Amino acid sequence: MVRFWLALFALFISAPVQAQDKLIISIWGGSWRDLVAETVAKKFTAETGVSVDFITGGTIDRLNKEKLAKGNPESDITFTTSHVGWLYANDGLFETLDTSKIPNAKNLSEEARISPYHLGAWAYVYTIGYRADLMKDAKFESWSDLWSPELKAKVAAPDFDPSHIIAVSALLSDADAAHWEKGQDKLKALKPNFKAFYTNDANSQQLLASGETPVQIVLSMNAYYMIGQGVPITLVIPKEGAVLGIDTVAIMKGSKKAELAYKFINTLYDPEIQAEIARLKKGSPAVLNAKIDPEIAKLPGVFTTAAQWKQQINIDAKLRAEKTAEWRKWFAENIMN
Amino acid sequence: MNQQPFLRTFTTPAAFCALGFVAAMVAVLQYSLRAYVPGSLDPGGFTLANFLDLLKPFYARVFLDTVWICALTAVSTLLVGYPLAYALVHIGNPLAKSALLVIVVTPLFLGEVVRTYSWIIVLGNNGFINSVLRGLGLIEQPVQFMFTTFGVVVALVHVTLPVMVIMLAAGLSHINRDYLRAAESLGAGPIRAFLTVTLPLSMPGVIAGVTTAFAWTFSAFATPQLIGGGRVNMISNLVYQLGFASFNFPFAATLCVAGLALTIAVLSILRLAARPFENMEAH
Repeated sequence: MVRFWLALFALFISAPVQAQDKLIISIWGGSWRDLVAETVAKKFTAETGVSVDFITGGTIDRLNKEKLAKGNPESDITFTTSHVGWLYANDGLFETLDTSKIPNAKNLSEEARISPYHLGAWAYVYTIGYRADLMKDAKFESWSDLWSPELKAKVAAPDFDPSHIIAVSALLSDADAAHWEKGQDKLKALKPNFKAFYTNDANSQQLLASGETPVQIVLSMNAYYMIGQGVPITLVIPKEGAVLGIDTVAIMKGSKKAELAYKFINTLYDPEIQAEIARLKKGSPAVLNAKIDPEIAKLPGVFTTAAQWKQQINIDAKLRAEKTAEWRKWFAENIMN
Repeated sequence: MNQQPFLRTFTTPAAFCALGFVAAMVAVLQYSLRAYVPGSLDPGGFTLANFLDLLKPFYARVFLDTVWICALTAVSTLLVGYPLAYALVHIGNPLAKSALLVIVVTPLFLGEVVRTYSWIIVLGNNGFINSVLRGLGLIEQPVQFMFTTFGVVVALVHVTLPVMVIMLAAGLSHINRDYLRAAESLGAGPIRAFLTVTLPLSMPGVIAGVTTAFAWTFSAFATPQLIGGGRVNMISNLVYQLGFASFNFPFAATLCVAGLALTIAVLSILRLAARPFENMEAH
């Protein structure tokens, strides 16, 4: 009978066979999966006849799964944030990209060329969003306006990543993210203004929509989603620039469908697809030749020129990958306590 | 002749599970003793630095807060759950009994996140409670329930209540009704009969319920994360924030090991403290 259980156990743990005729994409679930499915994947399938399957999950779940599957990846392509991409790359999980196989990548903005392993897919910003209806006299021309005593217990920030406000505090202390220690006192002075720290996009939405925290350091795409739902949010780009965020794409090392993966990434950089992504998510295209609807192009956090990209606060993705743990720990011990 | 012919068959799956559990625990333990390497998924060499980090006052406070929140939740759940369990056992009408049981058990069938979001709607500045208080003219400014220990405990009591009620009801239903009748025949009123017979004899259920509620709350994550809003932290929130959200797996493992040790220590103390009450049924 023990043999029976062993056989059953072996059957249970044996990995399911991946579909050979499909390109497997690893991405976050929900609207991110839908975004790629309705734009890039649709066009890719129409052009190649190859269908696309998605593996969805959180950033860390997917990273851990791919680490465990090293050499025999579960997916052919992975979408992840630029700094997390460095963790994949440092662990040898990403293929070195041959950009000659991605002709459309020649139009990528300089900031979207993250590494030899991963390239920007689209961009967004973390910036100040607030409920103008609840904050009648509020004005946010500079990040330093967040430190106003009138904002006591009114501000929320993400609890999963304090890098934005750490970089801003360093900047306001005449330093940069690499020398973030110089901004520690500045950030400590902001502590009374924090009311809560949100744990995900849904939590951020709930806190803003209910007016619980009328001011937030918020993801621009998330703010635009809420505006679309009727929440009166005003999004501003401070004079120092907003904090740039880039989601990236990469080919998994060991993928048996690398050629198809290159075609998929090339489709991603098709100017029309990039314009569609910008329209759907109110984010920034990664290429500079996308023809964006002027109404979308004028939105804060959507960049159409190289100069606009350069005006933002761009934390080096590799530095961020190395510093995130240290920043997060310091933030918990000194700001969230 | 083998007295238990199916013993090996039935225990084999459990043995596999135990093996997996032990392997996971060993992995967590060895991670807790490894250094974090910035920018890498692989841990570095062996070190005690992670455990030394726990000596910082911030972590001691979170650990104490966790114990405090668990204790408050367990006691509050007992106070709310005991009358419900009593009613559940003593109500004669089968329809009313079923209705009460459904109401009590329903929260178990809702996801923790759904339950927690419901509490955000109830406890928020523009939520149900504040709206009612404002509507009655009792307050002008909203009472702050969100991001407070009170708010977290209220939501945790809701999560824990079904387990407590079921355990208390099991304890109460085992009390021999003849004892109550004997007390009444000797002149004891309902309150005295309850205090001198029912309550002491239900202590094993109370202890089991409180211990389970305490341990159950120790691993709470979504409720303190969403209701606490980063201002009320329990150990599991720290594990998420410092470990998984920032890739510092060795430190997350250290927090897990320390949290597990604390749970075992607190439950052992509870067990020792409760020992005199456990034997009450025998007297």
